[in-house]
Amino acid sequence: MTTLVARPHRVRHAGQRYQWLVTAHYRLMVMMLVFLGVGLLIGLRLSYLAVFGDEPRSRVAGTLVPLRGDIVDRNGVPLARTIDAWSIGVHPDRLLGKPEDLAPQLAALLPEHDAGWYLAVLRSGKSFTYLRRRALPELVAKINALGEPAMAFAREPERLYPQTTLAAHVLGYTDFDGHGVTGMERVLDDRLTDPAQRGTPVALSIDSRVQAAMESELFAAMTSQQAVGATGLVLDVATGEVIAMASMPVYNPNKVGQSPPEARRNNVTQSVYELGSTFKPITMAAAIDDGVVTSMAKRYDATAPVAIGRFRIKDDHPAGRWLNVPETLIQSSNIVTARIADEMGQARMEAVFRNLGFDKPPVIELREKGRTLWPRDWGRATTLTTAYGHGIAVTPLHLATAYAALVNGGTLRPATLYRVAPGKAAVGRRVFTESTSARMRQLLRLVVMQGTGKRAEAPGYRVGGKTGTAEKPQAGGYSKSVNVSTFAAVFPMDKPRYVVIAMLDAPKGSAESSGLTTAGYTAAPVVSRVIARTGPMLGVIPDANKEIDLSDLLPLIWKPKGHE
Amino acid sequence: MASIPGFGPVVPRSKTKVGVLSRFGRDDRSSFSLWFWEIDRFLLLFVTLLISIGLIAVAAASPAAAERYSGGGVKVNPLHYFYMQLAWVVISVPVMLFISTWPKDVARRVALSGAILFAFMLVLVPFFGEEVNGARRWVGWGAARLQPSEFLKPMFVVGLAWLLSLKAQDRTLPLVPISGMITGLIALFLMKQPDFGQTVIFAAIWMTLLLLSGVNSRIIGWLVGGGVAGIVCAYLFYDVATKRINDFIFAEGDTYQTDMAHATLTAGGLFGTGPGGGQMKFRLPEAHTDYIFSVIGEEFGLIACFAIAALYIAIVVRVFVKLLEEEDMFLLLASAGLATQFGLQALINMAVNVQLAPSKGMTLPFISYGGSSMLALSIGFGLLLAFTRRNPYLSRSPYVSRGGGI
Repeated sequence: MTTLVARPHRVRHAGQRYQWLVTAHYRLMVMMLVFLGVGLLIGLRLSYLAVFGDEPRSRVAGTLVPLRGDIVDRNGVPLARTIDAWSIGVHPDRLLGKPEDLAPQLAALLPEHDAGWYLAVLRSGKSFTYLRRRALPELVAKINALGEPAMAFAREPERLYPQTTLAAHVLGYTDFDGHGVTGMERVLDDRLTDPAQRGTPVALSIDSRVQAAMESELFAAMTSQQAVGATGLVLDVATGEVIAMASMPVYNPNKVGQSPPEARRNNVTQSVYELGSTFKPITMAAAIDDGVVTSMAKRYDATAPVAIGRFRIKDDHPAGRWLNVPETLIQSSNIVTARIADEMGQARMEAVFRNLGFDKPPVIELREKGRTLWPRDWGRATTLTTAYGHGIAVTPLHLATAYAALVNGGTLRPATLYRVAPGKAAVGRRVFTESTSARMRQLLRLVVMQGTGKRAEAPGYRVGGKTGTAEKPQAGGYSKSVNVSTFAAVFPMDKPRYVVIAMLDAPKGSAESSGLTTAGYTAAPVVSRVIARTGPMLGVIPDANKEIDLSDLLPLIWKPKGHE
Repeated sequence: MASIPGFGPVVPRSKTKVGVLSRFGRDDRSSFSLWFWEIDRFLLLFVTLLISIGLIAVAAASPAAAERYSGGGVKVNPLHYFYMQLAWVVISVPVMLFISTWPKDVARRVALSGAILFAFMLVLVPFFGEEVNGARRWVGWGAARLQPSEFLKPMFVVGLAWLLSLKAQDRTLPLVPISGMITGLIALFLMKQPDFGQTVIFAAIWMTLLLLSGVNSRIIGWLVGGGVAGIVCAYLFYDVATKRINDFIFAEGDTYQTDMAHATLTAGGLFGTGPGGGQMKFRLPEAHTDYIFSVIGEEFGLIACFAIAALYIAIVVRVFVKLLEEEDMFLLLASAGLATQFGLQALINMAVNVQLAPSKGMTLPFISYGGSSMLALSIGFGLLLAFTRRNPYLSRSPYVSRGGGI
């Protein structure tokens, strides 16, 4: 007998199938959510990259970031840039054409060598040699047209100084590997090649307009005076920023090899000079500070030379009378200055110059710094001669920083070639008192108004300053005829802003200076013209009605009868 | 109608228009019309968009790749890769459309035969394969060169779906071990190439289909645990995986490629540099294949990357949502598997490009350059279109208004 049993499999089938569908659909939706979640994650990551995506761009050098950063002046004018230039080379071992045919063609296009030289190169079998670097695109096209496959052309980063000789000594130059050799190129080498920073140019303190004016006036004076060299400097008295720094003769940093080695020397920071009478205001300020000179009216004997052993200190134009302090500077009396230094004594005079840093190389970023000629023994003769700038040799930059301290209220600040943001100037160090500094402003102004520096006057700019004509030391002593003529000026004297220094090395005199080679006739006119040209650019408005208050000093100045 | 003097009578032009429309009208019973009404037209639109974007992207990446492969005496035309891709699209799209017209049974049978054929070729690869970039993945010569693993992927999905759907016939079949063994064998041969990325995809497909075939959650738990253990083991004992994962986590080794990809992706910002404006792409290796997403990012902006990511997600979501109406086990498994394979590959490639995942060597479906991959993807997508084809009136309520929902 058979019993009918329900087939359990089939009965359960429909229910199971339904069960499976529910599970499958449920799991399908879970998986969809997973997909949506991962998609969202990618979307979030994309948003993150969109918002914070700048970082990798700076890490990997972009195409527009130069291999070496630019150097610009304080107003953003480019002074040094990096461009892509062409180089031309040859692979002599891969030559297809005949060297005899190619050599004359190369000699015609690259005339720096003759055909024989090119033939030797082409036959050398070397794997590579440069024929020309910094080639013009036209030349590259012509050489390419020769059709020799062994010629190689490459774009190479080249340092370009678009202003050619402008501020050449400040900028310096680079070697073929693109590393700074001198100047700020050398100082800034790490900063300019740092991938993270080279995109932003470095701003120097130099103002290219002022620099250009200074260079043009110095060059004109150097040419007319037939001087062997010249230096010029404009320094901000409040911040120590070097606005212009010129050294002549100049070189072209784009073509360094074509200039003589002496042209590459930065005379402002590397060369030391006996700067003569320009030291007198420093001595005078120290004497006022130390209480040696108690009154401006105090008179000193200038009738007779001061004798130190067999050596006598004389004046070029003896006054033949007793001089007070303003008269000493106006007439630039060596005798009186030496007498005051004698009263100061050796220790205090030495301390003054040490305090101003004259015993050390100048303080500035440049590595090209000269060691000063610091007297080996400070005898009485040294004490007396250094007071008027002989027997001690410093750089023009030393003088500029000292003058800045002399007039800015007495604070010595290191000179800098970086642009200083407002309010970020170095704190500096007090070397003169405030009242002494105020007195020096009057005295320096008087020198230009009535003394040896009359030709430095630029109408309306209230120029003050001091001449310095030093005899050049030569083999066997000082030369009577060869001078180093310096003028150290400050303007405007009622509220000093800038120190301007011009120096001519061995001027020979011109019709303009009546054949004279002293600073008052050679360097002072340079200062006058530089100030007249650059004053407005530097924000100093010429004003004939403004003048520093000299009412307490003017009555002290003796005038010959009929000259009132 | 009024007649305008000098111009003759105005002939109503609507007659021809009606004629064109009627060809796609519901009363048309031609096979093309039937196909058009049955096919998932959203999927068709999405894939058309993807292929179009792909052509633009390859055109953008082509100069970079051409420059990379030029040199010495060889000069590759800047648009060489674009023209090649165009030719492959011209071949592949008809293949995809043709496959999408196949009846589902035919599609299944052809795919199963294909699975056996390409599995056999995969076994041959380690012995006869051609070595490219340190991996043996290609067989064949010249234009007939192909990567069996690319073609095996969609066929494998269909095969696995068929195997697992046998459960509906006989519940006693030990399908989990059998399918696991097949997958394991394929994975073994893939690792031998070596191709870590493809191995991950095959394993993921197997897990997905198991999950959907309704195996109980205890087995799923074991499998997930096994997967994690597998990745850890791969990291510990499989050199390629160790290197790739180390490079990613510790940013050690040669990070040039990923650094460049990052730089390229972000170089264009949100809106891109514009077509042809990209610079970073020239420093990027594999700009036209693995890292094409980054090239898109540079030239068309991250906003274009968003759109592309959204498009891939939309395709997967569209398939999954439509499958909620599917009751046939094989069709559900096959369609879901094909969509997963497609979406997973896209997500992994994009994740690599945005540095969320280690470099894999995986292409962006339909966008990356590659003839073999294009054809294989078209076959896979054609199968997907064939399996998701359905009579729109079969399961729809007669009360639903005509305009609502497709």
